[in-house]
Amino acid sequence: MKIFEWVRFGTAGGIALLMSFPTVWMFYSAFKSNKEIFTSPFKLPYSWSFASFVNAWQQGNLGTLYLNSLIVTVTAVAMAVLFGTSAAFAFVRLEFPGRQLMYRILLVGLALPPAAIAISLFVQLRDMHMLDTLWALILPNAAWSLSLTVFLMRGYFDSLGADAEEAARIDGANTFQVLFMISIPMVWPAMLTVTIISVIGIWNELLFALLFVAEPDKRTLPAGLIRFFGQHTTDYSLIFAALSILSFPVLALYFIMQKRVMTGLTGAMA
Amino acid sequence: MRRKSPERRTGLVGSGAVNVLFAAPALLLFGTFVLWPLGASVSFALTNWDGYNVPHWIGFDNFTRAFRDLSYLWSYAHVTIYVLATLLFEVTFGLFAALLMNSSKPGYSLFRTLFFSPVVLSWTAAGLLWTFVLDYRTGLVNATLRALGLGSLAHPWLSDPVTALIALSLVSGWKYSGFYMIIFFAAIRRIPQDVYEAATIDGASTWQQVISITVPLIRSNALVCVLFAVTGGYSAFDLFFTMTNGQPNGATDVPVTWILKQGIAQNQIGYGAALTLILVVIIAGIAAIYSRSTDRLRVTQY
Repeated sequence: MKIFEWVRFGTAGGIALLMSFPTVWMFYSAFKSNKEIFTSPFKLPYSWSFASFVNAWQQGNLGTLYLNSLIVTVTAVAMAVLFGTSAAFAFVRLEFPGRQLMYRILLVGLALPPAAIAISLFVQLRDMHMLDTLWALILPNAAWSLSLTVFLMRGYFDSLGADAEEAARIDGANTFQVLFMISIPMVWPAMLTVTIISVIGIWNELLFALLFVAEPDKRTLPAGLIRFFGQHTTDYSLIFAALSILSFPVLALYFIMQKRVMTGLTGAMA
Repeated sequence: MRRKSPERRTGLVGSGAVNVLFAAPALLLFGTFVLWPLGASVSFALTNWDGYNVPHWIGFDNFTRAFRDLSYLWSYAHVTIYVLATLLFEVTFGLFAALLMNSSKPGYSLFRTLFFSPVVLSWTAAGLLWTFVLDYRTGLVNATLRALGLGSLAHPWLSDPVTALIALSLVSGWKYSGFYMIIFFAAIRRIPQDVYEAATIDGASTWQQVISITVPLIRSNALVCVLFAVTGGYSAFDLFFTMTNGQPNGATDVPVTWILKQGIAQNQIGYGAALTLILVVIIAGIAAIYSRSTDRLRVTQY
């Protein structure tokens, strides 16, 4: 029995290390020179050099890409979470004609792949003169995140009683005040969860970013890095530095709030 | 103290048509950027529109053309191989990891955290990383093989049609099996402990308990995972675009990469829209048939 437990511990630990190793390896290899990566691929850097990070940042114009990614992610997530919470509040706590139907329609996005509308959305954004602007990424990404946001927030509203909200109502608060002063402070844990899911999804989003923005200065990190990669296909150190810059924020978010990220990302299914 | 006034049981804060305003921003955004383009693609699909000139109504010509488009048909073969492989590398491996890592002993929580970590990485980062590692000339895999004197085993992993699809599926498994691991893990944790206690009293070994209690009781979760892997797999794009984008010679084209080449790169909005609709109908069809045929298997009784 003792042996079985040790074998199990060893196997589980070994698999966990193997799974995380490529990412870790990508990070520390970025501190090496190309020559060093090839002569001793798995060893830690002989000396930790930030040269590749500086080069990647300058050559890849990553400062601009970073800022674009940040603007798109923050704006789109803010819209999705705020509008989605308000809609979920309406679907659970308010009554109006057609609310069941509207809720069901909003869920369409859960089953639909973004690719399903990519082509006609491209034409539509062109006609709206939004191509090559950050709005071409903010609005579609926010719209896509709404389905999951509304679905999860509605479930959370459902699981809580309406006592506090009704009490505020009886005390004379209007619906708007109830939402902002009572409901939102009450459901913020779920809002934080959907925020994290949406941040990870939109920060990493590639399809829309490739199709709707062609101008180099308006690209987000994932789309920009694909072009950057095309120009430096043999410079390991440089690409690994760029990939580390792309991956660092979401990985940091994950390790700070791992429980919330894990339950959040899988919560819609479980 | 629970008072039982009627308002309390309804749980409603307000009623009346004006309340739709609270859902209006979401509905407006969703309608404009999801529902409208979805509807538009149905009408585009029946035209020969190039995106610029006046579109002409051509009925179902785009659809009949699609069924003669060998690259399109082959892309379904490629994506089917990929989907079947991910059922093994993502779902089955995820289930195995969940069973292995289902323990409250010290260390296992960290193992699960590490196992899940590739899930939060972007497909772009994962794809570019592995493209580098698998490159024929400069890739680390082949460099290591050559350094070990096994140069004859060095292989153009991503330029050989056979190994390319397998390599893509393996990368996908590395990237996403953590997702299924956590779902299975959560499901296993919901099984009441007394079921196991009863089995232990009856003399069942740990292994027997896993096979005859755990696995049957998470069956419904497994069915959902398979559905998710299949529907998600058929609309795969990011990894395929990043790593091969159809190379070599269309051998790794999947429906979405092919559709975008036709629709956007070649300005065939009408044809691309038709190809997209076919894909959506196929995915919805698979999901419907699958859900119906597994309905009876979904009930879980502890």
